[in-house]
Amino acid sequence: MTWFTDRHFFLLAVIFYGLSSAYSVFLWRKGFRKDDRVNYFLLLAAFALHTTAIFLRGFNLKQCPVNNLYEATVFIAWTIVAAYLVIGISHRLRFLGAFASHVLFFMGVFALMPQLDPPHAAQPDFSNGLISLHATLILLSIGAFGLSAVAALMFLTEEHDLKFHKLRAIFSLLPPIQRLERVMNGLLLCGIVLLTTGLAFSPWLLKQKYGVWFKNDPLLDYSIFIWAFYLALLIARWKFGQGGRRFAWSTVGSFVFIMLTFWGFLLLSPIHHP
Amino acid sequence: MNVIVIGLSHHSSPVELRERFAFAESKIPDALKSLRESGVADEAVILSTCNRVEIYAATALEPAQAFLELKEFLKTVHAFENPLGEEIYTLAEPQSLQHLFKVACGLDSMVLGETEILGQLKDAYKLAHQHKHTGARLNKIFQRAFNVAKHIRTETNIQRGSVSVASVAVELAEKIFSSLAEREVLVIGAGETSEKVARALLSRGAKSIIVANRSHERAQVLAKEFGGRAVQFDDWAAEFEKIDIAISSTSAPHHILDRAKLDPLMKLRKNRPLLLIDIAVPRDIATEVNFLENVYLYDIDDLQSIADDYLKQRKEEIVRCEKIIAEKVEALFKSSGFQPQISTDGQRLKPVQANL
Repeated sequence: MTWFTDRHFFLLAVIFYGLSSAYSVFLWRKGFRKDDRVNYFLLLAAFALHTTAIFLRGFNLKQCPVNNLYEATVFIAWTIVAAYLVIGISHRLRFLGAFASHVLFFMGVFALMPQLDPPHAAQPDFSNGLISLHATLILLSIGAFGLSAVAALMFLTEEHDLKFHKLRAIFSLLPPIQRLERVMNGLLLCGIVLLTTGLAFSPWLLKQKYGVWFKNDPLLDYSIFIWAFYLALLIARWKFGQGGRRFAWSTVGSFVFIMLTFWGFLLLSPIHHP
Repeated sequence: MNVIVIGLSHHSSPVELRERFAFAESKIPDALKSLRESGVADEAVILSTCNRVEIYAATALEPAQAFLELKEFLKTVHAFENPLGEEIYTLAEPQSLQHLFKVACGLDSMVLGETEILGQLKDAYKLAHQHKHTGARLNKIFQRAFNVAKHIRTETNIQRGSVSVASVAVELAEKIFSSLAEREVLVIGAGETSEKVARALLSRGAKSIIVANRSHERAQVLAKEFGGRAVQFDDWAAEFEKIDIAISSTSAPHHILDRAKLDPLMKLRKNRPLLLIDIAVPRDIATEVNFLENVYLYDIDDLQSIADDYLKQRKEEIVRCEKIIAEKVEALFKSSGFQPQISTDGQRLKPVQANL
């Protein structure tokens, strides 16, 4: 069954993440008070497939499989689901799966974009550490923005329940909305620091490869736009007290925008795909 | 002589209707006087809280006739002209006594098992007694009701857990704010319930309490008790920039805070979350302020759903309490001159529902 590769296993895992994500919508409607085994087992099944995918890739490469964007995203998603499955042993915290499933599904769909997983050479090339660092920092910044979006989703859920006097606002296990807002803010700040640092390497990389400090490129322009947008979001919050629901929606909306557009700009970029 | 009760409560009517029928404490003695002078009741007690308005009366009239006249009395006193249906309930013996005992035990309260109602019932009785509107009949059943409430409190778990308005308010605050340690609380109108809410918040670590009351002296006394400060009643809005929680329980007949007034204040607060707890009847805060971002408004009826859940959890205790109450009512009939109203066929009368 050689045609059934590690990517196929990962595809199956993403399907399970999708099922969990759909099921989580029902959990949201019920409120997160009761622990839910169905969701936990869906994610457990996905984890088994996900782990198989990682192991197959690792055995194939004969080393830790984190060498390109696909592998990095797959690895980050695997750590998230593994952490959830450990935390979820406690029935009081099992509700977190209702939030994790959406993120995992998005990350899975994102990772499956073909251009993120170019064929490996006989041995991975680690000669240019600066490129790896640049990619890792930008990837981590997207992860931080993603986690901020998860906190924003929790905020919006809790805020809605409190506004509309739903009983589950009191009985749900979600943290207070003010704490969620701080988490959102902190993760956005973390994301923008990582993105700024990652982007700061771009001029040196361009100088190395093209002999110029700046070159017009769709992904570079896009990244600067994303950076400026998040910076504006944070400034609006700090300077003008912009917070609450609008801040949360902006956080969720901007992350969804990244998930839907990042891969497209990556494909359009001649610098990243010469 | 039959002891009957007529009234409205959170079970039967919305806050909009209850606030129309609420009696100001200062008006109760006159109302009782006029009630007795009308001949409807020989003895009477009026209980008026944010959750209920009830008249307990000992009357020589047939219950159906007495209910009709009491209903007219309520409508006349409050200049209410619309028709009333099931919003008003009427009970004759023995259900009226069971109802009183249940009320005293907090079994009929919005927040099950809360003890605040017992204090309010004692105050209502004391007021009527002081103005000599009670006699042997009501004195006996009210004293018995207080004893039953004490018995239930010590013998059952009906008061276990957070079941008071104050505790529910604290729970809400803890769902909004990361910690109560840095929270400033404004109390507008130094009523008993708002005092309890403030005290509960302080006990959970709230930073300070600011009190605004029409009687500035009362505000100062309360502020001193809380280790906070008092402000002039007209200046409470100026405090909104700093505070995080506002508890309102004034006796104002109209809204003291609406959207137009709060909107600019929220901008000054840089949109920090604000929890508004309106425990006044009539309500102090217009409901549309809840549409403002970062504002969370809860009025007395909003706590109903929370109470319902407690009700579910304590179902077993309710059954036990009701059994005790039934026994106590039976014992009351046996041990004294009380006789349940017996119909001609020898059966106890069912609660009389007048054709209202």
